[in-house]
Amino acid sequence: MGRIVGIDLGTTNSLVAYTDPQTGAPQCIPGPSGSTLCPSVVSLDPDGSIIVGEPARRRLLTQSERSIYSVKRLMGRGVADIQNELKLFPFRIDSTSQNVIRIKLGDKLFTPPEISAFILRELKNWAEAFFGETVDRAVITVPAYFNDAQRQATKDAGKIASLEVLRLVNEPTAAALAYGLHEKQRGRVAVYDLGGGTFDISVLKLISTGEGDIYQVLSTNGDTHLGGDDIDNLMQSLIREKILHEHRVDVSAQPDLVQELRKALIASKHQLSEGDAARLRFELPNGAVFAYEFSRTEFESLLRPIVDRTMGPVKQALADAHLAPSEIDEVVLVGGTTRTPLIRSTVQEYFGRKPHTELNPDEVVALGAAVQANILDRGVKNMLLLDVTPLSLGIETYGGAVAKVIPRNSTIPASAQEMYTTGVDNQTGIDIHVLQGERELAKDCRSLARFTLKVPPAPAGLPRIEVRFLIDANGILQVAAKDLRNGQQHSVEVQPSYGISDTEIERMLEESIEYAEQDFSERQVIEARTESEAILVATQKASALPESTSLSTEERAAIDQSVAALKEAVAGNDYKLIRKRIDGLNQATTHLAELVMNGAVSTALEGRKLAEV
Amino acid sequence: MESTNKENRMTAPSKAPDRLDHFARFALPRKLWIEMAPLEQKFLQLSWKLHPDNFVNATEQERELSLQRSSEVNDAYRVLRDPVARVEYLLELEGARKEGEHKQQAPPELLEEVFELNESLDELREAKAAGGDLSTLKARLEAAQKNFQEKLGEVDEHLQVAAQQWDAAVEAKAGDNDRKAIMVRLNELLNRRSYIRNLVNNVAKELT
Repeated sequence: MGRIVGIDLGTTNSLVAYTDPQTGAPQCIPGPSGSTLCPSVVSLDPDGSIIVGEPARRRLLTQSERSIYSVKRLMGRGVADIQNELKLFPFRIDSTSQNVIRIKLGDKLFTPPEISAFILRELKNWAEAFFGETVDRAVITVPAYFNDAQRQATKDAGKIASLEVLRLVNEPTAAALAYGLHEKQRGRVAVYDLGGGTFDISVLKLISTGEGDIYQVLSTNGDTHLGGDDIDNLMQSLIREKILHEHRVDVSAQPDLVQELRKALIASKHQLSEGDAARLRFELPNGAVFAYEFSRTEFESLLRPIVDRTMGPVKQALADAHLAPSEIDEVVLVGGTTRTPLIRSTVQEYFGRKPHTELNPDEVVALGAAVQANILDRGVKNMLLLDVTPLSLGIETYGGAVAKVIPRNSTIPASAQEMYTTGVDNQTGIDIHVLQGERELAKDCRSLARFTLKVPPAPAGLPRIEVRFLIDANGILQVAAKDLRNGQQHSVEVQPSYGISDTEIERMLEESIEYAEQDFSERQVIEARTESEAILVATQKASALPESTSLSTEERAAIDQSVAALKEAVAGNDYKLIRKRIDGLNQATTHLAELVMNGAVSTALEGRKLAEV
Repeated sequence: MESTNKENRMTAPSKAPDRLDHFARFALPRKLWIEMAPLEQKFLQLSWKLHPDNFVNATEQERELSLQRSSEVNDAYRVLRDPVARVEYLLELEGARKEGEHKQQAPPELLEEVFELNESLDELREAKAAGGDLSTLKARLEAAQKNFQEKLGEVDEHLQVAAQQWDAAVEAKAGDNDRKAIMVRLNELLNRRSYIRNLVNNVAKELT
């Protein structure tokens, strides 16, 4: 069996983490660039290979029609659900897709789980390179307020990426797990998690028992379409308006320009989390320059409605936990968007205490996932997580009403048994419609699945079929039916309302492995380039040191030649050639490295390459 | 609330033999007074033992069993810790109430007040539509709401008394007729409670 990791599959960035078996401490795994953040961006290269992360993010500007970001917003949703997003996001959706969205990258179509699987596979590669071992299992985090279809889509993505998903863990719960370990807190904790695209609030009780610690979620609430992206979109609309007014340029008509403006605005947003103003300078295709100064006040007036929108779910979660704000012992902030001072002060004011921000808000969810992965993998039994289902499960009844069978905030696994019989003689089927949501009418809730219970012909009212609805520990629905007259289990063919079939997943898995092979060479090129960059910088630095004057003219010429050769190779796509030229430069600089080393105080560096000195 | 093709749980054959009822799951007698702290402790103990996290690397059969058992523990805890859900469940278990039963008939002694309340609600809706002055109507409704909230408190007190009678009857090993009389009373109170609660909720909805 391979290794197990924890993965935070985020709207903006994704991360992979593991737990060090020696220390028991969770840690994020860096990618080839050294950063632990993998931008959740996927791009299809014209040569047919898939590019993920930072290199794909750069392509958002140059190849926006072949690239996609924020795909998490589309997971488990149908085309009708996302009409509002389409106005703000440059998603290119296949017009024939309905209950499963198909996204166009270049001329190819992909479902959201497939796109997410590319990100998961990239993170899997990071971890495998880091361990030097295969990784085949993962704990993946999801927003606590994700519904059944969104969870199922995430699980499907894991499958397509050849990962066995041992558990889906709710993001705020994962954060609490990471903090609990870190701070050794006890008591009632509220986790406020505002990420790139989703908002969650969870209220937990941390309990110490003789056997270990229990993290019991009391309630959760949220909004799966509220986050940092929304702030970006508001800034974007404001500035587009101004550009149109001042320069008569319609930015929205040009996808590449939209991306460029988005990038500039995100930089301004980050500046405004620290300073009082951010200067925006944006060059237009006609050569004109749009300049604008964002003040903190203006930024906060844009942000205020978004912060206000988070407070409804916060109040509901507390009400459902039967707690007042003052009864919360600790507050934890999670998600990059909570770096904004306005959010920090609003949360602090509401709960009357300073929120915890000690752990990096970008990493904390992945760290918690790694803790849970370790518990599941090694059977480390000193901790137990009891989570809840965020939405009520209901069955459509006569007249389009919904009968709730499992209320929201029920500890999972949770189940309900319902008895069904026939209304007319020899009726052969009973139609059942399962929904999720808090509203009273079926049309206002989220349709999860429909199925027909097959009934052997009998007089009306005689058949007795018990249907068991079970929400498993991942928050995903399972249905089983039993004929109570003979005790026979009925198979239930549940057709999910939004989702892909098992056969489709199999096909996607096969295709994804093909991509993975192409990905491999692409990744090698990227890694070789990164390494080249390091050695080129080191060479340049060493050549500027006084010790380098001892080099002969020939040696100097050989170095210059090797540098030029490497630079030439880096411009191409042949990773073997880049590696060869790296070796060449290493050889050419052996004497230089020795000179530098002799000049250095420590002799411990002997025998190392220049790039390592 | 009930679907035409859904039958109540009571007339069905008894539940599958491997499934314990909620009281038995927590090794409790079928009484209505339950101490919360020991209940929670037992819940945590059972969860610690049965949760699917413990069986990730076990056989499929064990995993399935853990899923089933831990869901039963969670279902039982959810019902038993809520005093009203607990009464409902006991009555269903004893065959004195249909699952999901919520009679929507006004209790006779409340008829007059309910009639007035509904009239005020209609007036408020009309006034809202016409854009008229709402303050007097709202004040009237708020008073009515307070009145019904008090009634809800009374019902809860009666429920508590009846629940104590039930527990006493169980302890005294009282005969079926005595028990049935208490259950009829409990059922009546539950229906009245659900009716008044709906009223209060409806008024609250109109007032916001």
